[in-house]
Amino acid sequence: MPGLKLTSMIVCPRTMKGRDETVKPIITAKNLCKYYKMGEVTVEALKDVNLELYESELVVVLGPSGSGKSTLLNIIGGMDKATGGELYYGDTPLHRADSNQLTFYRRNDVGFVFQFYNLMPNLTAYENINLSVQIAKNPLSIDELLEKVELSDRRDHFPSQLSGGEQQRIALARALAKNPRLLLCDEPTGALDFNTSIQILTLLKDFCRTYEKTVVIITHNTAIAGIANRVVYLKDGRLDRIEENQNPLPPERVTW
Amino acid sequence: MLWKKMLRDLNEHKGAYIACMVIIIIGLMVFTAFSMMLENLQLSQQTFYKNQNFADGFASVEALPFTEVKKLEELEGIARIQGRFVTDVRVLFPGREDNVYLRLIFLNADEQNRINDMLLLEGKPLQEGDMNILIDNKFYEANNLGLNDKLEIIAAGKRRELYVSGVGTSPEFIYALRTAADFYPSPESFGVAFIPLQTLQTLLPDKNTFNDLVFTLEPGVQYDDVEKLLEYELKPYGLRSLIPRDDQTSHLLLSEELTGLESMSTAVPVLFLSIAAVILYIVVQRMIEQQRGQIGILKALGYTNKETVFHYMSHTMIIGLAGGIVGTLLGIALSYPITNLYQMFFNMPLLKGEFSTAYYFIFGILLSLAFSLSAGYLGCKKVLNLEPAEAMRPPTPPGGKKVWLERIPVFWNTLTVQGMMSVRNISRNKGRSLFIFGGITFCFAISCFTWSMNDIIQKMIFDQYEKVETYDLKISLAAPLAEQRVLGELRTFPGVRQLEAMAEVPVTLQNKWLKKDVQLLGIAENSGLYHILDKNGREVAPPKDGLLLSERLAMLLDAKPGTMLNVESILHGSGSWEDKKLPVAGIIPQYLGLNAYMDLHALQEFLEEDGLTTSVMLSMDEGTIPRLQEEYRQSNLISNMDEKGERIRKLNEMMESFGSMIYLYSLIGIILGFSIIYISSIITTSERSRELASMMVLGMTPPEVLSVVTFEQWFISILGMAAGVPLASLFMSGISMAMSSDVFTIPPVISTYSYLMAAAVTVLSIWIAQKFAGRKIRSLSLVEVLKSAE
Ligand SMILES: Nc1ncnc2c1ncn2[C@@H]1O[C@H](COP(=O)(O)OP(=O)(O)OP(=O)(O)O)[C@@H](O)[C@H]1O
Ligand SMILES: [Mg+2]
Repeated sequence: MPGLKLTSMIVCPRTMKGRDETVKPIITAKNLCKYYKMGEVTVEALKDVNLELYESELVVVLGPSGSGKSTLLNIIGGMDKATGGELYYGDTPLHRADSNQLTFYRRNDVGFVFQFYNLMPNLTAYENINLSVQIAKNPLSIDELLEKVELSDRRDHFPSQLSGGEQQRIALARALAKNPRLLLCDEPTGALDFNTSIQILTLLKDFCRTYEKTVVIITHNTAIAGIANRVVYLKDGRLDRIEENQNPLPPERVTW
Repeated sequence: MLWKKMLRDLNEHKGAYIACMVIIIIGLMVFTAFSMMLENLQLSQQTFYKNQNFADGFASVEALPFTEVKKLEELEGIARIQGRFVTDVRVLFPGREDNVYLRLIFLNADEQNRINDMLLLEGKPLQEGDMNILIDNKFYEANNLGLNDKLEIIAAGKRRELYVSGVGTSPEFIYALRTAADFYPSPESFGVAFIPLQTLQTLLPDKNTFNDLVFTLEPGVQYDDVEKLLEYELKPYGLRSLIPRDDQTSHLLLSEELTGLESMSTAVPVLFLSIAAVILYIVVQRMIEQQRGQIGILKALGYTNKETVFHYMSHTMIIGLAGGIVGTLLGIALSYPITNLYQMFFNMPLLKGEFSTAYYFIFGILLSLAFSLSAGYLGCKKVLNLEPAEAMRPPTPPGGKKVWLERIPVFWNTLTVQGMMSVRNISRNKGRSLFIFGGITFCFAISCFTWSMNDIIQKMIFDQYEKVETYDLKISLAAPLAEQRVLGELRTFPGVRQLEAMAEVPVTLQNKWLKKDVQLLGIAENSGLYHILDKNGREVAPPKDGLLLSERLAMLLDAKPGTMLNVESILHGSGSWEDKKLPVAGIIPQYLGLNAYMDLHALQEFLEEDGLTTSVMLSMDEGTIPRLQEEYRQSNLISNMDEKGERIRKLNEMMESFGSMIYLYSLIGIILGFSIIYISSIITTSERSRELASMMVLGMTPPEVLSVVTFEQWFISILGMAAGVPLASLFMSGISMAMSSDVFTIPPVISTYSYLMAAAVTVLSIWIAQKFAGRKIRSLSLVEVLKSAE
C-alpha cells in the first residue's frame, strides 16, 4: 500500500517550523478513490489518495495529463463526489454531504479559478465580482480587489472587451471576493503568456500570505512548483510523492 | 454514419422534440377530426336536404283555404308549394308535472314527394284516414316510446289519443327548438309529429284552413325574386311571416355551427403547427450553432452542402413525420365519437362510409411535413454559406452590452446581479425573447377572452332574469285579447301578487333600405315586472311617442335617436299595410333577444287596437304556479306558459355545455404557455450551461441559478400579458361580432375577473414549465461542462 506509506512520510510544514504538532489540517483525504464505469471498462481516475491541506500553505499539484489532478481538485472543491474513501473539511465529512450541503460548502469556503475564465459574458468586470460578493458571508471589498488586480479602470468593461490575462484576473478577484478559506486553481495560467502568468501567480501567493488562506494550483509547468510550500506529484491516479520546499521562490523569480 | 449521429442528436434534444411532437399531434388531431366531422356533417346535411326536399322558403299565415294552394304554385319562380296546418299541443304523460309539447303538422298524407318530408326510420308511413302519427326520433327515444304506443294530447280543450305508427326525422327540425327564445333542444319536452290532414277536423273542429306554407324554388331562382310576389298574394290571408331558408331556425343554427367548426378546424391546427415550427426552428438553429465545428469537419471531409443540410433537416422531418402520422391517426379515430356527439344536438342521419379518410391522412402528414421541413430549412440554411475553415473557428464569443433599461436607475438599482444578467439576456437572443413574448401574449389573450365569454354571458343572461324580466310566469295568448278581460280573469286567481298585460307584436322595422323583423314589446307604464335598463343599469320608462331599440337592432338599422322608422305590422287594426312611422326615442343594451320597446297604451293606440294584449306577466306566491298551470293547461286561449325557474334551469344546462368549450380553450392556452416556456427554458439552459455551471461552482443553489433564467422569462411574460390585454379585447370584439345573433348579443367587454383568471392560468403554466425545466439544471454536471473550452 504505497499510499499509506506515503502518508506516514508526510510531514506537516508547520511542525517543520517548530509549531504545534496538533495543528489541524483543513482538508483531510483518506484513501480517496474515483472510478468511472464505462461499460466493460472501469477507469480509475483516483486510487487511494491520502492527502492533508493546511492553513495558509500554497500547494502545487503536478502530474502528466490524465493522472487525475482535476479529478482530485474537483472532489476537494465539492464539485464532484468520490467513489470511495473519506474526505473531511475540518471535521465535516464531505464524503457524506448531499448536493445541497456541497453547494453551501462551495458557497462559503471554496474559491475556484479555471484555465478558461468562465466569466459571465453579459456582466461587467465589477458585476462579475459582485455576483459572488452577493452570496458571500463576509466578502472582501470589490473596489479593493479591483485595485489589487490593477483593473480598477476597467470595472465597467464586459469580458469580451478584456484580454485573456485581464479576464483571468477578474476571475481570480471573483473567487477571492467571497473570502474563501480554500482557493483551488486548475491550470490558472494554462492559457496565458509568461508575463501574465507571473502576474497571476504573484496574486495567488499574495493572497495565500496576507489572508492566510490555502491555495492549491494545478499546473503542467514544473517551473511553477518553485513557489509552492509543498509539491504533490500524481501519477496514474495515485499520489506518487510529496516534496517540500524549505524556501519557496517569490513568483517574480520564476522563469521558464 | 450520419444516421447514427442524427439519432444521437435527436436523443440529446428529446425534451424539445417530444414537446414539439405533442403540439404537432394535437394540431393534426384537431385538424383531421374536425375536418372529417365537418365533411361528414356537411355531406349529410346536403344529402338529407336533397332527399327530403328541404324547403327554400317558409311562410305562416292566419288562414289559407285548402284550395288556394294550387294557385300559388303557378307563381313564377315557385317550383312547388305545400300547405300545412301547424299547431303545438300539450302531451299528457302520466305522472309528469312539466309541460310537454308536440308540434303537430297536419298534411296531406297522400301527396307524393312531400317538401320537408320526414325520413322514415321505423314503422309505417303516414296514412290518411286514421289517428296515426309519424313522430320524430329524438322525442320518441327521450320518452321511451314504442311503436303503436298511445299518446294522450289536449286539442281544442279535449283529451284525445294519437297512435305512434312510425318514427322519422325531419330536415326542418335538425336543431329542434320550440320557440326562438329556447337555446337548446330538449327532446323530452318538445317533439314534432306528422299527422294526416283529415284528422284536423276531428281534433280541431273550428280549423279548416292551412296556416303554414313551405315551398321550393325553380332552379336559378332566388328567394328575393319571389318574396314580393308571395307577400302580395298572401297578405289577404293574414301573412304572419315569410322567411327564406337561410333564416329558418334549425338551418340557421346548423349552418352557424358548421361555419364555426370550419374556422376551428383551420385556425387551431395552423396555430399549433406554427408554434411547433417555431420551436423546431429554434432547436435546429441552436444545434447548428453548437455544432459549427462538426459542420466544418463534415464539409472538410467532402460532404456536400446538400448532404449537410439534409442531415439537419432530417431531424425535423422525423418529428414532422412521426407527429403527422400519430396526429392524423388519432384524429381519424376521434372523428367518429365526436361526430356522434354532435348528433346529440343536431338530429340528422349521418352518412356512413369512408369519406376521405385516406385523403385526410395523407394531407395531414403532408401538412405536418410542410411546416416542419420549412422550419428545419430556415433553421439550418446558415450551413449553406459557412466555409469549412470558418466553421471550424469558434464563433465570436457573446459580448456583453448595456441595455436602455439601465438608464432608469430606480429600476436598475433594485436588481440583484442575477436580475441584471436576466434583463441583459432579453436582448441577447431577440428572436427567442420575441417568441416568448408572442406566445405569452397569445396564451393570456386566449384564456382571457374565453373566461370572459363564460363570465359575461352568465352575467348578462342572469341579469336579464333577475333585473329585467322579474315576473315569475308569462302566459302567452293564442290570439290577442282585450286587456281588461284577461287581467280581470287572472287577477282573482289565488297566489297572484301582481299582474300586467303586455303586447308582443311582430313588426318589420325599416330605415332606408335596412329592414328587420322583430318583436315590438308594449310594456305598461311604471311596470313592476319588466324593467328596461339603460347602459348604466338605470331604469328607463317605455316611451309613449317613439321606440326604444336594442343596441344591436339600432346598429342593424343604422338608427340613432331621432331617426324615423317605418313600422309595418300585421296586427295593425285597420288591416291596411300602409306604412306608419315612429321615431327612435332611445337606444338600450339588450343581451338576450332582439327587441324594440314602447309604452303599452301608446302601442295599442298606434296599432288602433284598443286594449290589445298578447301576453300577461305575473308575479306569484311561491308554490302557487303549478295550480295555475293546471287550471289553464287545457285552455285553447293560451299558447304557452313560460315559467322563469324552468327557463333558468335550461339556461344553466346550456352554460354547462358551453363551459366545456371554455375549458378546452383554456387548456389550449395552458399547453401553449407551458410548451413555450418549457422549450425556451431547456434551450436556454443548454446554451448557457457554462454560465449556469459557473454560478453553481460559485456556490449558488439551483434555485438561485435558475432564477437568472426565470427572471428573464417572468420579465418578458409580464410584458406579454400586458400586451395580451388589448389583444384579448380584439378577440372579444371579433367574437362578439361573429357570434351575436337575434337570440343573443355578446357585449365586447372583458371583466376584471377574466383578466385575473387569465393571469392565473398563464402564471400557472409558466410556473409548471419552469419547475420541469429546473430539473435540467439540477442534473447539470459541473465537471463535464467546465472541462472543455467554449
Ligand atoms: N467523465 C469521465 N468519464 C470517464 N473517464 C473520465 C471522466 N473524467 C475523467 N476521466 C478520466 O479520469 C482520468 C483523470 O482525469 P483528469 O481530468 O483528472 O486528468 P488531469 O490530470 O486533470 O489531466 P489534464 O492534465 O489533461 O487536465 C483520465 O484518465 C480521464 O480519462
Ligand atoms: Mg485537468
